Amino acid sequence: MGITNSTLLGFSTFIYLGAAFLYLLHWVFRLKKVGVLATGVTVLGLLVQTAGILLRWVESYKMGYGHAPLSNLYESLVFFAWCTVLVYLVLEWRIKTRVVGAFATPFAAMSMAYASFSPRVRDSIEPLIPALQSNWLIAHVITCFIGYAAFAVACGLGIMYLVRGDSKGDGIISSLPERRVIDSLMHQTIIFGMIWLSTGIITGAVWANQAWGTYWSWDPKETWSLITWIVYGVTLHARFVQGWRGKKIAVLSIIGFLSVFFTYFGVNFLLSGLHSYGSQ
Amino acid sequence: MKKTNQSSHGNPFVNFFSSIKLAVFLLIALAATSVIGTVIPQGESFQFYLERYGPGMYKLIRTLHLYDTYHSWWYVTLLSLFALNLTVCIGRRLPFTLNLVRRDSLGLGPDKLRRMRINHQWKLGKPLAEVKGELLPLLKEVLGGAREREQEGGVLLLKESGKWSYWGIYLLHASIVIIMLGALVGSFWGKKGNIVLMEGDSTDHFISRGGVGKPGSRVPLGFEVKCERFVVQFYDNGAPKEFRSDLVIYEDGKKVKEKDIRVNDPLEYKGFTFYQSSYQGIPEVLLKFVISDGQEINVSIPAYEQRLLKGVGVAYGIMQFMPQIHGVPAAKIWFGQFRGTPPQAFWLVKGHDREIKIGDKIVKVSMVDAKQKYMTGLQVKKDPGVWIVWVGCLGLILGFIVVFWIPHRRTWIWIGEEEGKGVVILAGQANKGKLAFEETVKELNLRIDTALRERSWV
Repeated sequence: MGITNSTLLGFSTFIYLGAAFLYLLHWVFRLKKVGVLATGVTVLGLLVQTAGILLRWVESYKMGYGHAPLSNLYESLVFFAWCTVLVYLVLEWRIKTRVVGAFATPFAAMSMAYASFSPRVRDSIEPLIPALQSNWLIAHVITCFIGYAAFAVACGLGIMYLVRGDSKGDGIISSLPERRVIDSLMHQTIIFGMIWLSTGIITGAVWANQAWGTYWSWDPKETWSLITWIVYGVTLHARFVQGWRGKKIAVLSIIGFLSVFFTYFGVNFLLSGLHSYGSQ
Repeated sequence: MKKTNQSSHGNPFVNFFSSIKLAVFLLIALAATSVIGTVIPQGESFQFYLERYGPGMYKLIRTLHLYDTYHSWWYVTLLSLFALNLTVCIGRRLPFTLNLVRRDSLGLGPDKLRRMRINHQWKLGKPLAEVKGELLPLLKEVLGGAREREQEGGVLLLKESGKWSYWGIYLLHASIVIIMLGALVGSFWGKKGNIVLMEGDSTDHFISRGGVGKPGSRVPLGFEVKCERFVVQFYDNGAPKEFRSDLVIYEDGKKVKEKDIRVNDPLEYKGFTFYQSSYQGIPEVLLKFVISDGQEINVSIPAYEQRLLKGVGVAYGIMQFMPQIHGVPAAKIWFGQFRGTPPQAFWLVKGHDREIKIGDKIVKVSMVDAKQKYMTGLQVKKDPGVWIVWVGCLGLILGFIVVFWIPHRRTWIWIGEEEGKGVVILAGQANKGKLAFEETVKELNLRIDTALRERSWV
């Protein structure tokens, strides 16, 4: 049958795992060339994955019920990984430091690995049920997942900040960026994620209003996205108003991502509601 | 909102509600209690909670309205307090922002400029009077669109942008209040409910589900909705592909609008919106009765309905229906008690007639045909608050963009004379995006430096 979307997406899973490993090597042994290689591998992974996503889109049309590959758990995991890598690469390009990669690419690699290997995740292309037949699907999923990806990177930066501690000297720990820099990046990334999450919630509300006649129905997914929004809102105010910096914000960034994680997975697997199609 | 240092204000009520700590407390309380309604299923019957959680928890659930958490008195109270808190915060901070915006950025002297984090100074080799005629226009051109004022024996130039961005924080926070107001308008003046329509039937009212009118009451529409047809389609794998109701609106007996509605594609008329929400297939069976006195009766009867068999006077109906038994439809028919004949029920398969005795008559029953008729379930909504919510949402996003990405930037150039020689000071301040601003000032610095060197003034 030749190359299918699964082939390409399978490849990208291994490429991202390789990239995460290279970033780790780069950090631990402080090898500049390995770092450059890691970036190259990540870019390659992104290209292969992009091709895979596009091919999946094309394949769905060949099957007679074409739709953007953003309609079930498998496709959302793939898209989450794609966004995370993209957000990370932009960050790397802007700050000209590769160490963050060791903390960001694992999220993408894990997401792809889970999507590819978990028996709970079906990777077949399926037609859209009536509730999902809307252009708002694309806007809603894209905005939400850019937000989630930014929060994943912010969580990676939070972990990095905690790992960094206040060690000095020239161990592997101190080869991480300065704490002030990590703190500022984390803040910027949270702001970026917050705007996308807000847009994601709003596009979801517009869509719900069109499909069901209520823009907000306190469905568990909606409620958890609001909880997540509040967690990051409190984080931003803790910084602006109370002047919290560094460690406390790093912890909040990790808590925030746990909330994102629950909104994404926990709700699907543990609670029932209108978003149930996201669990298959 | 940003920290305000003033702590003394006459009104303790205002003080309490303008505290950011209260806001954070309320937010955390809202987040924490919101979890409850995602864990306990909402909107079930009291019986359900009693069986699932036992009498102790059941009492708690009833008292705290945990069966409808997000509309419970205490949750709504938290939300209202939060809205009040936000409003008071906004109102209380306004004067400070007004001062900030009105403050005179041209009232600074060279000493203040020298204390800024971004500043550079050139000492000219000549008295100011000698170069001023050429220097001032030059600097104005480099800075672009600057205001100027005589300041401490020299001239101060100021270029300012994004001053209005201080209002972004108000837009952002006010938008949250606006969204809540929109929701409030919807809950007070909105109407929502359901309509169930058989194909071919019409209605001029709906059954309320909340909002105006008690749940379960009939709310008039002021016009008539008719469902001409309902269509359901499936994909090859059995998943639903389309639910569609072909609706027609009649007003004063005239057809005024028609639309085939689908999930995600509702019909709107006079503020009411009709959404496709559910459907039910109702089989309709064509029966033929031949009574022993020679009468022949043909009836079309939907399942689960009761009829009276004319010619005999007995009640009957269909209690169960199978569209396919060995390739033919079958229906379980019941007959009521009749003059000594006890009630009876039996399966009738198409092509296999049955003879039964009712009273003193023998009735031959046969199924002529069976077909599926559909009943569509529509949701009806009228929400005058929804556009307020959308305005709030738009404001929220714009507010975020302004707050986080529109910086207030000020760049000053002062030229004056110190110890008989000309002095040029360049200084800048930005409240966000500081790195990018530093780059901009660096460029400016370079251009000024080059210009001064070209003229051998430094």
